[in-house]
Amino acid sequence: MKSWIEKQKYIIDFTLSSLLRRKVKNIGLLILYALIVFILASVMFFTHAIKKEASLVLRESPEMIVQKVVAGRHDLMPLRYRDEILKIRGVQAVEGRLWGYYFDPVFGANYTLLVPPATTATEQAETEPMRTVVTENEHRHGPEEQAMPLVGAETIGAGNIVIGNGIARVRNAGKGEFILFRTHAGEGMPLRIKDTLSSASELVSSDLILMTEPDFRRFFGIPENYVTDLAVSVRNPEELSTIAAKITRLFPDSRPIIRDEILRTYDSIFNWRGGMMIVILSAAVLAFVIFAWDKASGLSAGERREIGILKAIGWETSDIIRMKFWEGAVISLTAFLAGVILAYIHVFFTHSLVFEPALKGWSTLYPQFKLMPFVSAEQLTTLFFLTVVPYTVSTIVPAWRAATIDPDAAMRHTGE
Amino acid sequence: MIELFDVRKVFNTGKPSEYSALNGISLNISSNKVTVLTGPSGSGKTTLLSIIGCMSRPTAGRVKLSGREITSLPERFLTDIRRKTFGFIFQQHNLIKGITALENVMLPAYPLGERHGPLKERAMHLLDRLDLSRKAHSRIEWLSGGEAQRVGIVRALINDPSVIIADEPTSNLDTKLSYRFLEIVETFKKDGKTVLITSHDPLVYQASVVDEVVRLRDGRLEGEAP
Ligand SMILES: Nc1ncnc2c1ncn2[C@@H]1O[C@H](COP(=O)(O)OP(=O)(O)OP(=O)(O)O)[C@@H](O)[C@H]1O
Ligand SMILES: [Mg+2]
Repeated sequence: MKSWIEKQKYIIDFTLSSLLRRKVKNIGLLILYALIVFILASVMFFTHAIKKEASLVLRESPEMIVQKVVAGRHDLMPLRYRDEILKIRGVQAVEGRLWGYYFDPVFGANYTLLVPPATTATEQAETEPMRTVVTENEHRHGPEEQAMPLVGAETIGAGNIVIGNGIARVRNAGKGEFILFRTHAGEGMPLRIKDTLSSASELVSSDLILMTEPDFRRFFGIPENYVTDLAVSVRNPEELSTIAAKITRLFPDSRPIIRDEILRTYDSIFNWRGGMMIVILSAAVLAFVIFAWDKASGLSAGERREIGILKAIGWETSDIIRMKFWEGAVISLTAFLAGVILAYIHVFFTHSLVFEPALKGWSTLYPQFKLMPFVSAEQLTTLFFLTVVPYTVSTIVPAWRAATIDPDAAMRHTGE
Repeated sequence: MIELFDVRKVFNTGKPSEYSALNGISLNISSNKVTVLTGPSGSGKTTLLSIIGCMSRPTAGRVKLSGREITSLPERFLTDIRRKTFGFIFQQHNLIKGITALENVMLPAYPLGERHGPLKERAMHLLDRLDLSRKAHSRIEWLSGGEAQRVGIVRALINDPSVIIADEPTSNLDTKLSYRFLEIVETFKKDGKTVLITSHDPLVYQASVVDEVVRLRDGRLEGEAP
């Protein structure tokens, strides 16, 4: 047993020194390999993080949203619809929501303006208990993290706003400062920054501005008896589509949107992005296959000669295969780790610098496209099986072929 | 004692290039003696040597090593016998470039899993015996031809084999170095080792240290009827 360990030590030792002997070749190999892993891992981290982000967004969105449609377009929703919908059997609560977009001509950015749910119009008494209130820039982490920041309207206060990090960054504005907005009527409307949002998901909160209902109505000139849309919650999710059908029958000019439908919309967006990623991904996989194949197709004459010598001086076929296995494993593990770490930094710290051109459309919306670091064991395993395993196998096969030749071949035509 | 019974070797059986390199060789090689195989080029010396050294198998016939039949053993056992019984000195010295003389010398011992300390000590001792201790940490490609050959000899000795096999050991050496080699063979004999050399160099097969000369021609022992 002891000699067995000793033997493995010798083999690994010799493997490492062999790797160093062919330094240039192996470093080149390592760089190419790490680059491919880097691309594969970046694509994978990026798409997964986006999907994760999307699911976070969706987890927070209501089961059903009802919009009013005029001439095929989203219009303001009269509050009277809410009272009618509430009467439908199975509907638990209907909440009027106030939100909208504001284009900031100075910075060329779009903001999302939102009245936090707690004070929307005349809240139903029976609705779920008020959401928790976040006061300071407190950092929350963990699986329970909410994508949508929880700020009660009552903490904002008239004349104040709470802004997303993205806006704070772009306008270089901090707590206590004022931002001058232009209302729908063209008047100036200064609002004081009460706080900035810190949220798990930049995707959701980056461009967000929270304000009180009266401020919001003044800003956009929305009358008291209108809201942007309605969030409907039902007792039994099974009944969602029945209730949606009832709502359309009741108000033919309304459009109920079920969360699953939003999911589909999101999915198509991310899949479109994902589709582009697939192209990159398959190119990288292809490159890898060619690379591994090239490796598999043969050993250099020098390597062959060495294997012959080792066999002639008493190494077994299995010793040589073990050596080649270690060689492959050392190279692929190093490349794998380097590629994965670089990809992690690339996606989560440099905001996918390399993919930036492809993401241009988004980066105007989200000045700094910062994804929440998210890597699962599953992704790493997939990557591992896509790269390390085939490579290691492809180094063993030719070594095995060379190692099974008769050792006496080393006594012949071994001219240097 | 190595015994050969009617050993035959056919290469590329069934192909147009089929060639019978050994045509029935029966031979006894005594222990603690120096035996030289000689004969014209292509007569089958190297082929016979590699069969005796368990590097390849005969097509027909049997080989016995100290009374034990080895021709039918599976590869694993053959490898084991090879590295414990035989030490090989090659014509092209077959050293691995890029590593030191010392590492080259130790390589055949790696699969045996011996502790590093004693192994290195033995290697240094053997290198010293052939005046190579100063070159132990030099890379192979920096050595002269004679030094490289002596490193090859030390490597053959590292596992303390009872039989030393050398294929054309002097073909790359000048006269002085060839004599030096014969001196080394002398010490092998003193240590009680069996030495088997192929050579068509008269300097070798006429040397006083040689106990027996076996002449091959066309894959047969000379003098025997075809
Ligand atoms: N693997 C092989 N395939 C086909 N023919 C072979 C093979 N190995 C050896 N031979 C042939 O067998 C014959 C004997 O070869 P061998 O190397 O034993 O000769 P030798 O006596 O050692 O010659 P030299 O003195 O030139 O080294 C040669 O004709 C050679 O071409
Ligand atoms: Mg020969």
